[in-house]
Amino acid sequence: MVLMEHVSKVYSNKTVALLNVGLEIKKGEFVFVVGPSGAGKSTFIKLLIREDLPTQGRVVVNGQDLATLRPRQIPLLRRTIGVVFQDFRLLPNKTVYDNVAFAMEVVESPRRDIRKRVPAVLDLVGLRQKARAFPAELSGGEQQRVALARAIVNNPALVIADEPTGNLDHETSMGILNLLLEINRMGTTVIMATHARNLVNAAKKRVIALEKGRLVRDDEEASYEITRTAMTAGGRR
Amino acid sequence: MGLRAWEYAIRESAVSIRRNGLMSLAAVSTIGLALLILATFLTLAANLQHMAGYLEAQVEIRAFLRADAAVKVRDETQQAISALPGVTKVTFVSREEALKRLRQQFGEQQGVLDAVEEMNPLPDGFEIKVDQPESVEKVAAAVEKLPGIEKVKYQQGLVQRLFRLTQAVRTLGIALAAALAAATLFIISNTIRLTVFARRREVAIMKLVGATDAFIRRPFFLEGLALGVVGAVVAALAIWLSYSWLVTGISLSLPFIPLVSRQPFLANLSLVLVVLGAIIGAGGTLFSLKRYLKV
Repeated sequence: MVLMEHVSKVYSNKTVALLNVGLEIKKGEFVFVVGPSGAGKSTFIKLLIREDLPTQGRVVVNGQDLATLRPRQIPLLRRTIGVVFQDFRLLPNKTVYDNVAFAMEVVESPRRDIRKRVPAVLDLVGLRQKARAFPAELSGGEQQRVALARAIVNNPALVIADEPTGNLDHETSMGILNLLLEINRMGTTVIMATHARNLVNAAKKRVIALEKGRLVRDDEEASYEITRTAMTAGGRR
Repeated sequence: MGLRAWEYAIRESAVSIRRNGLMSLAAVSTIGLALLILATFLTLAANLQHMAGYLEAQVEIRAFLRADAAVKVRDETQQAISALPGVTKVTFVSREEALKRLRQQFGEQQGVLDAVEEMNPLPDGFEIKVDQPESVEKVAAAVEKLPGIEKVKYQQGLVQRLFRLTQAVRTLGIALAAALAAATLFIISNTIRLTVFARRREVAIMKLVGATDAFIRRPFFLEGLALGVVGAVVAALAIWLSYSWLVTGISLSLPFIPLVSRQPFLANLSLVLVVLGAIIGAGGTLFSLKRYLKV
């Protein structure tokens, strides 16, 4: 699903955001990307959705080398990826239903499909009853569920969540995590960048740790911190 | 593609025009004003040219026969004129023919001629074309001496001056309109920038979920097109009403000034205005989209 080989990203102001990162994420995996602020998590995600190109190395998503992608092919790549952000990025003047339908409208889906698919997705995230509410009338957790519904409404093969629980309390965060795990169980690959130690520890999934742009750890069924047991038991890939 | 995409774009651009009401109004009025000025100068130029054409018909020499001239005298006179050096063509114009031409020159005001229909006061005559303008005076003098001829008429300098004036008016009009079009582009560009700013969240999300660039641009393009066309329609309406009013007024008080007939002139002019409005509106938008919308 995702392949990075010797990927480095140096911004024009000489900031090294990523340095010689190599990894592979298989179809159907659930992966946490952890690390302190400025470790390169955002750059990592920008490279995956082809918002930026690496200065060195190769990024392959869905079998496509992103460096060889022509500008007009970028929208097609993004239709296979659903993205969720910390600040939800909902349209305040559209209802919950319209926010989700918007993602289908702009990729020019037939109206019949939209009418069928949007209620189904709202059901999945548990917001069927709030379909006619506006984002301002919802709690943070509910807004993030709307954003998640929008991310998956076009049936992407990969869902990327960038600090999706950064603005939410613990209980609500667990709800979002469970939803992402549920989406993953249905076959979608999920990559979640996060600071939330308790979520990572609760999920027991693969953890990729970045520090100052380097990949410092990549463990299966791991926890947030490098523990002694993890150091000895968890092998590097 | 298909209807769905356009439906979305139309809805979005309508919302956007309303949301940026004041800026949209400014854009429409500048486009309207620019096109109205262009239209005014074009109308002026068309009328000057019409007048020049009307007078040009008089550059040639017109010789009028005596009212009592017999057919034999008429034929002899025609042959005599043809034989003069410098003359290239001599055409007989009967008094009925002369009246018919007069009607054409009067265009819409030909009502004033109805009174003279019964008792045509015009004489029979000849139209004489010469090989070069310098010959006019000599030929005219020679023709005047012929026995069958009552009177000779010719004009020249006036026509050339009128043609030069027409040219100047048209050039000035186009230059002014071009300057205003530049101002219009600036205003359109600002309007579009505001629109892009107002819709930056939507645009970011559209890009995120994989909308094509064409899809993202479409509502902005339609907005610019609509502003341009509405401005043009306003200008067309203004020139339509004022020219109609002018023609009516002049044919009543100054019936001998030859004006261009309202139709098809106004219809053609309006078409030109709408096409120009669309080009300015859509072109201005595409130009500014490149700068403000990096998709």
